[in-house]
Order: sequence, then C-alpha cells, then structure tokens
Amino acid sequence: MSGARDEILSRIRRAEWATADSEGRRRAEVEQRLAARAQTAPIPGIARLEGAARVERFVEQLQAVQGAVTRLPDLAALPEALSNELRQRNLPQAIRKGADPDFAGLDWGALETSDGPGRIEEPATLTRAFSAAAETGTLMLTSGPDNPVTLTFLGETHFVVLRASEIEAGLEGAWARLRAAGLDPRTVNLVTGPSRTADIEQTLELGAHGPVALHLFLIEDA
Amino acid sequence: MTLQPTSKEFKANVSAALADPNLRQAMGQAGGGLAAKRAVAVAALPEFEALRDAARDVKNHTLTHLDLYLEKYEAQVEASGGQVHWAQTADEASKIVLDIVARAAEARGADDGKAIVNKGKSMISEEIGLNQALEAAGHTVVETDLGEYIIQLRGEHPSHIIAPAVHVTKAQVEEDFRAAHTQFAPDRRFPDAASLVREARAVLREKYFQADVGITGANMLIAETGQSVIVTNEGNGDLTQSLGCIHVVIASLEKIVPTLEDASTILRVLGRSATGQAMSVYTTFSRGPRRDEDPDGPEEYHVVLLDNGRTSMLGGEFQDMLRCIRCGACMNHCPVYQTVGGHAYGWVYPGPMGAVLTPNFIGVEEGGHLPNASTFCGRCESVCPMRIPLPKMMRHWREREFEQRLSPAPTRYGLDFWAFFAIRPTLYHWAARWAVWKMKLFARGEGSLGWLPFAGAWTKHRDFPTPEGRTFQQLWAQRQREREQDMRGVG
Repeated sequence: MSGARDEILSRIRRAEWATADSEGRRRAEVEQRLAARAQTAPIPGIARLEGAARVERFVEQLQAVQGAVTRLPDLAALPEALSNELRQRNLPQAIRKGADPDFAGLDWGALETSDGPGRIEEPATLTRAFSAAAETGTLMLTSGPDNPVTLTFLGETHFVVLRASEIEAGLEGAWARLRAAGLDPRTVNLVTGPSRTADIEQTLELGAHGPVALHLFLIEDA
Repeated sequence: MTLQPTSKEFKANVSAALADPNLRQAMGQAGGGLAAKRAVAVAALPEFEALRDAARDVKNHTLTHLDLYLEKYEAQVEASGGQVHWAQTADEASKIVLDIVARAAEARGADDGKAIVNKGKSMISEEIGLNQALEAAGHTVVETDLGEYIIQLRGEHPSHIIAPAVHVTKAQVEEDFRAAHTQFAPDRRFPDAASLVREARAVLREKYFQADVGITGANMLIAETGQSVIVTNEGNGDLTQSLGCIHVVIASLEKIVPTLEDASTILRVLGRSATGQAMSVYTTFSRGPRRDEDPDGPEEYHVVLLDNGRTSMLGGEFQDMLRCIRCGACMNHCPVYQTVGGHAYGWVYPGPMGAVLTPNFIGVEEGGHLPNASTFCGRCESVCPMRIPLPKMMRHWREREFEQRLSPAPTRYGLDFWAFFAIRPTLYHWAARWAVWKMKLFARGEGSLGWLPFAGAWTKHRDFPTPEGRTFQQLWAQRQREREQDMRGVG
C-alpha cells in the first residue's frame, strides 16, 4: 500500500520541526548518527567492569535470576560434566544440540547426541552462546545451523556453553563483537535466566513456555 | 471492528469495579507489588536518572527525524528479505494481516481457507481489534502469553498493558481451565499457581507446532539493522515467531530507534520500570525470514507499520506521549488505576498513559472522561522512564473537553459559581469564612463530617475532615505578619 506509505511520510514532514529545518540537514544528522552509532547515553558502572570482576559480576547476576553455573577448565571436560548434570537432574543421557564446530570434536562417550532444531518434547538441549553481558548476567545467542533458535526455547532444561573470554562488560561490547564477527543471523537472542511468568496472582513460576532450568557451562579460558 | 469503547461510561464502570469482590481481591493482591520491585531495581542502579534523560533524548531525536528513520528501517527490512506494510488506520492494518493469513492457509492447502494463527502479546493487536477480525474470517486465534491466554478463555480484554490478567483470581483461572481443557481428568487438583502454569504449558506447547502464522508485537524497531525487538519473560513470543511458517510483526511507527546502542539504553530503563527486572528473560532481535542454511525459523517475515493517528500528534502538545515504551509504571503507581482496575477505563489502554492516549484514538467526546480520572498526584510522571509529562497532557485534554462544552452540566455550573467568587477576592474571603464557620458548627465538635450539601456522592464512601476554624487566606495572612515581625526582630 504505497499510498499509505506516502501519506504517512508526508504527514510527518508537515510537523512544525520538519518544516522549520532543512531536509538536507536532518538527513545528514540521521546518516551521521547511524554511521557513528553515537554513544549518547551514559554506560553504567556495572557495564564497565574488567577482568575477573567482570566474570564474577556475570556469574552472580545469572545466579540471581535462577541460572545455574558450572565452571570447567576446558571444552574437553564438557561431555562428562553434562552427563553428570543430566544424572543429577534425573534426565535421560541424551542431548539435542546444534552443529557448532566446538562440539564436533568432543568425545561424548555414552551420551546420546543428535543435531537439529527443537522438537515438541526436548528434555535437554545444548547450545553455544556467542557472547554475554556481565551487567545483567545476559547470554547472547545467535541463530543458525550451529545454534537452532528453537533449542533455546523448547528444552525443558537448556544447557549453554560460553567461554569466559567471550563475556563483555555491557550490551554495547556484545554488539561490537557481533558486528566485528560480521554475523547477520535471523535472530539474536538475549537470554537472562530460565523462562518465567507471574500472570497468576503475581506468583513467580519458572518454566512458563520456555526452559524450566538454564544451566551454563563456563569454560575458564580468561 | 475495533473494541467498542465504554470510556464514556467511566463513572458507571468505576461504580461496578468498586462493587466487584473478585476485582477487589485481585487488585489487593497485586497492588503495589510491581511498584515495590521497581523501587528496588532503581535503587540498585546509580545511573538510573541519567539513563532516563538519555532514553528521553533518544526518543525525542528519533521523533523529530521519524520520516527518515522509517525510510532507513524499511530499506533494511527489505534488504534482509522481509516486507514492510504501511497502514494508516486500524482497519487497513487488519486487512493487511488478513490477506497474509489467507495466503498462509492457501499455501498449506487448507480446503476451507482457514488458518491457525498464534499470537505473542501485542497491545497494537488490541488497538486494531485483530482477534475479532481474524475470528470473523473464520481463522483460529491462539493467544500464547499466559495472561492473554487466560483472558481469551474468559472472553475479556487486558486490564493492564504488561499484566493483562491482573484482575483475575487464581480460583477464576482454575474454573476457566476446567471448562476449556476437557481433555484432562475433571477431578484433577490445582494446589498452586504452578499446577495451572504446567497445564497451560502442556496445552500451548502443542499449539505452537500447529500454527500457520505467528504474530508478535514489537517493543522496538531498529533503523540501523531492520530488526524488530520483543521483550518477554515466558518465551511464548519466541516460540510463536519461530514455529509458525510466517512471522508477522505488528508495530506502531513510533517504536523505532536509530541504533543497537540506543536500544540498549532503552532496555536499561524498560525492565526496571516495568517489573523491576534489570533485564527481562528474553529480549529477541529478529531480522528477516530464516536464512537458507537455517534449520528453523519462519519462511516469511512481514512488518505491519501502524499510524492510526500518531502522526497527527507530532509537532503538537501530545508529541511527548509518543515516547511511551509501554512499561506500565504509570499505572502501577496510579492510585486511581490501583483502585478501579484497567477495565473501568473502557478501551485498550488504561491508567495515566491510557487517559492521555485514549481521547486521541476514540475522540475527546468518547474518551474525555479519562483525563479526569486523576488526582494529579504526579506519581506517574515521577516514575515514567521516558519522563512524559502525563499530568500536563491530561490537563490539555481537560481544557479541550471544557472548550468543546463536553463537561457535564453540574461541573460547568459549579465552575461558573466558583469563578463568580474567585474573581471577587473580598467576597471570596467572606464566603469562605462563612462556610468554614458553618461546617464547624455542623460538626458539633466531631473531627469529620459524614455528609455535605452537593457532595453526597463523595461523602457516601468517606468523611470530610472538619476545618480547623479558619480559612487558608486567614492562616496565610497571619504567617506573613509573623514573618515580617521576625524579620524586623533580626534587623
């Protein structure tokens, strides 16, 4: 409906501030802001932490929103840690995961693994986070064959792998990392804890539609 | 086919709300909870006030360059393989969605042309009456946000913009689930809220896999990247948009922000203002349809950009309202909303933000009562993350209502009566002294009056405190005299 488009745009251009200013100057301001991605707002102190303090903040914040964290010395320790965790949670020794290169070379032992998108019943899924923001304990996941988006939402328990060196202080750092990697995924998912609702009498319940539990394996490489 | 407003009957709605025991119970339980959580979150972030300023500035900049950012955004969506549809009115927007849904049904090969449409929570969908339009065309609509699902079962509308079923008690939800979910044993027990959440989860999990189309709203649209953003806690919006064959985003055009950095600034005030969360659980940025190599995600991505009168607010006294990010803080802190609930407001948007927006959408004749539903205590403005001067804008509407002679006759005569005295100071003083003396006499030494002439409706639910015996002007004059004496004493 191009008629509607033109009508709407011309109505906007009739506003006082638009007629009082030259379109050329307004256009230049917009180009400049988009190109510079100007940081016009203050970045809070909690989003500026460095080194170990940053990692500690991230872990604390994730735990504060009912996320669980297991620290591992390296990626090779993942299969055994995952197997133990499944046992402790009374889940079958099976995992649905994405085709992330980090997972490809691992020895999964007796653990039954399969790659692909989420199905209607998924007791446990495993995905690979792209980055994280320490300020709020937020994981950043990017969709793709290595990381099907439905695994993040359909797993009853959602396991995630992240390297400590991938944790950024704030959201801005995570966006910069995404741009630098040249990724253009269909979805960027910021995940801060397991699914929840308070829609029934303001009572907080975990696992509304998404995972009941979120468990992070943090690879200590930083 | 939008929601028929009952805002004109605000007074009758309020009376009904005050007499509804279920509403009293539900609001009593919810009351203040979100406000208290906000206070804790704000106290934990020293930069919060500075971030409010910054968030306001982001929106002000965007609104005064709205045409150009919309063009940029559209180009980005198209570059990602998505489509943008522009809609001037509610009906145009519904029509666009209906066409997409009809095509989806055809693509699936449905003989009857009917589709299954899943929905994430969207207030724009309420604004344009989308569910009614889809159902009238024979499609099946499934609300997947738990609160929205509950009120859909009840045939109601949201009473809060982020907690749509805040007016419903647990006992009512239990009754609704027993009536709707006949596939389960009728004698099953619901000992707690968790058991109800589990049942809804099981029912809706199946629905996600049956949908042809997934419709979501958008908390933001990003010009730099062409992404739409949804902010949720349940994950239903993500399952809705990832499992349907087509993802339709319906969003009003003021949702746009320039960059991801700007979006981050708004996210820092949004969750804290809404629920006291530093971040909501799921914040999802979606761009275009699934990529060729993707194993999941929708095959088509459409954005319906709705104006519905918003562009006429630009450049005028209501432009600031277009900064609203729909956090609900104003209603969580509003004494009127907390007492009467959201339905009394009679249309889609309740509370202080609704009192300002509603007359814009349905006209001052229909919605002019709402800006009067305020004590002007100013709490809404003091907590608004976007620093929207809500009381000031409610006053603008009151002025317009008065100018158009829409106020009820007693209000107008009362104001004329008061004005007669107010412009005659000597007469005003004498009249006020007489009234105060008379009220004291009536009270016969009691601290309050149970009845006042012309104020029977007011005193029905409350007592009027007896004046101390002197008028404000008398007390003021005495204070001024004392101050002058003090000054002389110092000199």
